[in-house]
Amino acid sequence: MAPTRALVTRLVSAATTTTTKSSRPPPFAATATACLRDSSSDRRRTYHSYDHPPPPGAFNNAERQILSAAYRHVPEHGFTHKALSLGARDAGYLDISTNVVPEGPFSLIKYHLVSKREALAPRSAEIFNAPVDCVDGVTPDVAAGARGQLLTVPERVERLTWERLLANQDIIHRWQEALAVMAQPSRVPASLHELASLSDEIYHLAGDLAVDPSWYTKRASLSTIYASSELFMTNDQSAGFGDTRAFLRRRLDETGSLAGALGSIGQWVGFTASAGLNVLRSKGARI
Amino acid sequence: MLSSKSLMRSLRRSGQLPVHDFLAPALFAPNRRCISTTTPKSNASVAPPSQDGPAAAAAPKPKRKPLTKEQREFLSSALRVNQAGELAATLIYTAQKPPLVNAHPHLRPLMSHMYEQEAGHLRTFNALLAKHRVRPTVLYPVWSVLASGLGWGTAVLGREAAMACTEAVETEIGTHYNSQIRSLLEMFEGWEADGYDVGPELRDLVGTLRRIRDEELEHLDHALENDAKQAKPYWLLTSVIQAGCRGAIWASERV
Repeated sequence: MAPTRALVTRLVSAATTTTTKSSRPPPFAATATACLRDSSSDRRRTYHSYDHPPPPGAFNNAERQILSAAYRHVPEHGFTHKALSLGARDAGYLDISTNVVPEGPFSLIKYHLVSKREALAPRSAEIFNAPVDCVDGVTPDVAAGARGQLLTVPERVERLTWERLLANQDIIHRWQEALAVMAQPSRVPASLHELASLSDEIYHLAGDLAVDPSWYTKRASLSTIYASSELFMTNDQSAGFGDTRAFLRRRLDETGSLAGALGSIGQWVGFTASAGLNVLRSKGARI
Repeated sequence: MLSSKSLMRSLRRSGQLPVHDFLAPALFAPNRRCISTTTPKSNASVAPPSQDGPAAAAAPKPKRKPLTKEQREFLSSALRVNQAGELAATLIYTAQKPPLVNAHPHLRPLMSHMYEQEAGHLRTFNALLAKHRVRPTVLYPVWSVLASGLGWGTAVLGREAAMACTEAVETEIGTHYNSQIRSLLEMFEGWEADGYDVGPELRDLVGTLRRIRDEELEHLDHALENDAKQAKPYWLLTSVIQAGCRGAIWASERV
């Protein structure tokens, strides 16, 4: 009962704002509030504390209830207002209470992105830290993951990216619509931000500790690879999305070999330069 | 620790360079002075043991406040700029060492020692950045090139110029670390006034910053002992380098 009352007051205030600003079309107001909320929440990734409680998440309680209920209707109705109002009804709210969710269908897409990203951390602990003796009765993939300690960072990145792609499989037939919504100019910054958070999360979970300029190149290339694999997956008819995994591996290998080649060139240039400098020094040049 | 802190504070108020005061202990006992004043063994450790660690763990449930957005931004920019600074310091000493040691072989142990300490600081901040998921500065390659150039250039100019460079950099860095420590302590005071607990994570950070600050100021002493003041256009060198440091700190805190 209590959440309903809180909701009613919110609805009333929302209604008054829309009546006072009736000249403004509602979608604009929605995006404006969304922008405000975005800048107040963690827009940029900042200091991650292990001692202090985390800052509030992207959604509040009412939003989370409605969105998680609505998410169950996505496979059937897509990322639409229809799914949202069905979800609101399931969560015990009035149909109109979808107003609580400011960005409509885009909030539903964002809920998918955020919840699947947050689910990656427990999943990664499951894959990489599973004790070896209790792998009976699970897929060989998980058994292979039990040796997670032995995997290199690129291998863990591949595994985690694949896990994240698999999390799309229930809604993959609706995902092209979602991509179209995400590509709308006003949604692009939030979508890219989510993509950046995802690649940061994957590299963090993979245990990558590099904090030099490769921090940026790694995350940028993973974001590109993830986005293209996801696009590939929307048209993938193969069993278990095997083609998508092959595509993902090819892209990651290409990036890996490119990075390896650039690294070798850099090493060669550095070695030659320092050797030349030392030859000059041995000849008595005061440099 | 306390006295040196208050000393720094009073010095900053008066606007004087902390030159004579830091020389003072060296003047009284010049022969007993060894290169290091701190133990280097804990150089690379991210979390030096804190006295209140076990006590805080034994407490039933420490009440901690979520970090506000400003506090998280302050902490990430602080760690980012510190990493950039230690990277630059490491590269300055790397570039200074060959020409300087070639001309003055007796400086080899000192240069190695200062380099080792800076490399330890860089490892500390690299680990902290990775742990707390803070991005490195975008200007990383720029600082690498500029720092190497500065180190090499001053070393070619001679021993005095190299030491003047060290003096200018370490003065700036000491001030910078002090202001960070002060902001953190203010943050702690605010929490404690509200009845919240300060976790070992941030207490250790303050401890690490204090240790590193003291080691940087020790380098400042070494530079002064090695005739930093005799550098020819001393005022020009130090003011240009200090201005450069301040600009670099300003930029690294932001991007």
